[in-house]
Parts: sequence; C-alpha cells; structure tokens
Amino acid sequence: MASTTTTRVMTPSRAHGSAKSRGVASRRHLPPLAFLVVLLVAWEYVPRALGIPSFIFPPLGEVLQALTDPGATRSFLYHTQVTLIEAFSGLAIGTVLGLVLGVVLVEVDILHRMIYPYIVAIQSIPKVAIAPLFVIWFGFGLTSKVVVVALLAFFPVLLGTMSGIRSVSAEHIALFKVHRATRGQIRRKLLLPSALPSIFTGFEMAVVFSTLGAIVGEFVGAQAGLGVLILQAQYRMNTGAVFACLLILCAVGITLNVIVRLVRRRILYWVPGEKSLDV
Amino acid sequence: MSTTAQRLPTNEEGAHTRPLISIRDLSKRYETKKGATVALDGIDLDIAEGEFVSVVGPSGCGKTTLLKILAGLEQRTAGDALLGGAPITGPRNDIGIAFQGSVMLPWRRIIENVLLPVELNEKPTPAHRERAHELLALVGLDEFADSYPNELSGGMQQRAAICRALVHDPSLLLLDEPFGALDALTREQLNVQLNSVWEQSGKTALLITHSISEAVYLSQRVVVMSPRPGRIVDVIEVPFGRKRGPEILTDPKFGEAADKIRQHFNGERKNG
Repeated sequence: MASTTTTRVMTPSRAHGSAKSRGVASRRHLPPLAFLVVLLVAWEYVPRALGIPSFIFPPLGEVLQALTDPGATRSFLYHTQVTLIEAFSGLAIGTVLGLVLGVVLVEVDILHRMIYPYIVAIQSIPKVAIAPLFVIWFGFGLTSKVVVVALLAFFPVLLGTMSGIRSVSAEHIALFKVHRATRGQIRRKLLLPSALPSIFTGFEMAVVFSTLGAIVGEFVGAQAGLGVLILQAQYRMNTGAVFACLLILCAVGITLNVIVRLVRRRILYWVPGEKSLDV
Repeated sequence: MSTTAQRLPTNEEGAHTRPLISIRDLSKRYETKKGATVALDGIDLDIAEGEFVSVVGPSGCGKTTLLKILAGLEQRTAGDALLGGAPITGPRNDIGIAFQGSVMLPWRRIIENVLLPVELNEKPTPAHRERAHELLALVGLDEFADSYPNELSGGMQQRAAICRALVHDPSLLLLDEPFGALDALTREQLNVQLNSVWEQSGKTALLITHSISEAVYLSQRVVVMSPRPGRIVDVIEVPFGRKRGPEILTDPKFGEAADKIRQHFNGERKNG
C-alpha cells in the first residue's frame, strides 16, 4: 500500500524509479511483517501451552471469535462509531481553536501576556482529572467526551501554530512589508504556510490524543463507545472482548497514523526530507 | 567631505542627471535603556537616476539602517529622505529589495516567488509572467522557473531573489549584502551577472556590502561610512563605464579605487 501511494505522490519525472522503489519498500517492510506473524502465532499458542486461563490472557483465536461473532460484530461497529465521532468532533474543534487562538496570541501581544499563562496552567492539570467535571456539566452523552478531546487536541495545535509563526524570519516579514502587503496577506501568504510543518507536528499529537481523550471520557461516564464496552467486558471478566476492543483501537490508531502521514506528505511537499519519509 | 557626497555625478555625455534619491542631514537615533544610540548622523547623499551606489563600512555603521529608511521600513529621526522628489514615509511599491538570504517561500515554485511583489498588489497578468521569465532568462534560470527553491543552490536562489526585486519594474533597487552568504567564486560570478542585469535594466541601485572589491566592481560611486555615530567619511568615484567585465579586476585603476576605500578602515583601526 505504501509503495503505490509513493508512486502517486511522485512527479512524472521521478516515476521511472518507482518499480525499483517498490521492491525496496517491500524488502523494508519484510522484517516487521515477519515479526508480526511470529507475535500472532505466539499469541495463539503460548497461552494454551502454558495453560493460562482465558480470563487472564485469551489466545488470539478466542479474541477473533469474540470480534467476529455475528451479534457482537454489530455491537463493536456501533461502539467504534460512537468513539470515532467523539474523537473526530473533538479533534476538529480543538484543532480549529488551537489554530485561531495561536494566530491571535502571536499577533496580539497584550492578549498573549493576559491569557497564555492561564492556558498553560489549565494544561498542567491532567485531563483525566477534569473529565468527571465535564460529565457533571455536559452529561453522559456525546458532548462531555467531545469537550475532553477538544481540550486535549487544542494545546499541541496551539503550541505548533505559535512556534511556527514565531520562527518566520524578520527578512521574510520585511520583504512582505516593503511590497506593502496587508496584515491579511502576511498571515495568509507567509505566516500560516511557514508555520504549516510545525502546526502539523502539533496536529499529529492531537490525533493521538483524540482517541485517548474519547476513551478516557467514556471511562468516566458514558452510555456508548469502546471505553464503555471495555468497562462492561471487564465487569463480566470477558477478557476476550477487552482484547477485541484493544485490537480495534490499535487498527484505528494505525489507520489514522497512515492517513495523517500521507496528508502530511501531500501538504508539506516543499519541506526537505518530507518526501523520503516512509509511511 | 559631505560636499563630495552632495555633488552629483555626470553621466557619460557629461550632463547632470536628476537625483532619484536625495538624502539631506538624515539622522536616526534609537532610544534604549542604556541611553540613545546614534545609528545615522547627518547623512547627505544624492543618487542619480540609473546610478549604482554602494555603501561600505564596518558593522554598526548604520548602513543597514539607511537602507531600511529608504525602503520605508524604518522612520528617520531628523532630516529628509526623498525618492523622486517625495518624502519617504513608508513602504512604497516602486522599490525592489534583496537580502543576504534569498528569502524564498519554499512552498512556491521559483516563478511564483519571483512574481510575489506583483501579486501582493495586483493580480499578475500574462505580461508580468513574461517579464518574470525574461528576468529569469537574463540570469540563466529560466529552465528552473517551475522548480522549488530547495531544488536550487544558494547562488541560484540569490539570482532568483534579484529577479524578484526587479519584476515589478521598481525605480529603485535596494541590495542588502545579497551575496554575503555565498562562497567567493559564486559571488564573483553573481557580481558579473548583477552588473549586466543592472546595465540592461537601467535601474538605480543602492548596495550595502562588506566587500570592498564587490563595491568597486559594481558601483559608479562607493560611499564609505564610519560607525558610532554612522557618518559618511568619503565618497569614491569608480573610473569605469557602466558595462564591466571580470578583466577590470586586474586593472590598476581597480586596485587604486579599492585602496582608497581600504585606507579608511586601516586608519580607523589605528585610532580605536
């Protein structure tokens, strides 16, 4: 998969090397894939061989069975969907807030001095500790989870935006000013594009935080979602279902990571070394 | 000394040309916690239309401040700075500028970087694009018009930056040590190119530089400045025509002009 996308991103002039690079890519992916197979085989047979009870560590087969059971599959899909909606809504809100506030705080110094210390202070409180408050304020539904995720996702994007804009050189700003660029033009054509690599680094963290935030929020109080499913399975000592949830989360995480990296390579085509990063 | 600064040069036919830039008794003072720093003190300088003038001086002599005032990026404390007869009060679009770094936008192709000064003020027309391509061709970069800056060497980027400074057909070209970060060989090549670009465009140019030979090679007059407070201590006329080639580097007159400039810095070192 990675090699086909590499070909697509490449400019025609470089495409001739793709067949070769595909071979190189598959050779590069071979060791981790081989190790994965070893791990999966061990997961299936080691617990059985050692006689570890299922409720402590279920073999892979049982987990897959829990996952593919006709009745259960629908339930897993539903709860996964709930968690993803929470994560993505919170991620979107947090990212937009972080971007906008980041630009404003850099441009309006008085505001920066006024509120930035408090943003950092709020940030220093573990979000898990505030989550119960959000459940009290916003209930057991979607909102409280979205708020937790947004709060988690907001900060890295804010930091990325601020440090990205601050790193723009004085000469670049002078160039724009000499040619009578408006504030809007400087922001749109210079500051935001320059800050993009740094914003993206913040966004990548925000993506990781988004599923984390959703699960934590669901642990604290929710009616649906993978977090709820994990808690319920735990009460019933249904360790297979817990592992099934973990597998789903793992798949979600890997998928998001691949998507983010592909988007990054598309948007940051101009950053040296960005193209060579393998997905 | 300042009378030399005020005297206008004559063009090749011997007639006086109109000054594009008139600087009269220009001063710039910075107020800091430790007291006032005088960056520029009583600067008098006329630059004729089409003339190439260099300003040399050690760090802290206020030469960059002078350039920033002419660019409209900084305000003067006292005196006058006129461009085409009108006081410079802020940025104006008939100025082109190049810095020590190429100051490219790495996400834009070279051609779009070159067109930036136009784009910030109006929608670039096909005529603008044609001019940008012509300028790139003039410095041998036309085949890189669609490349990204990171695909070009430092010297090539700097050439593109010169094109960008000329694309909107400004009346004044400000060059703030544009080749300062390049190796000596590249620098010499670019000086030859800059001279021919200037000669063909007929622009008025002001170059800030640390390099005496670069100043002599490119300019018709070299202004020597001293630091703290920044003052003009001498103006040296360079006895070569507009179109120059590397052969003048070995001309005795080249060495004489360079020595005249150099002696100011040697003297200063002895005094303090």
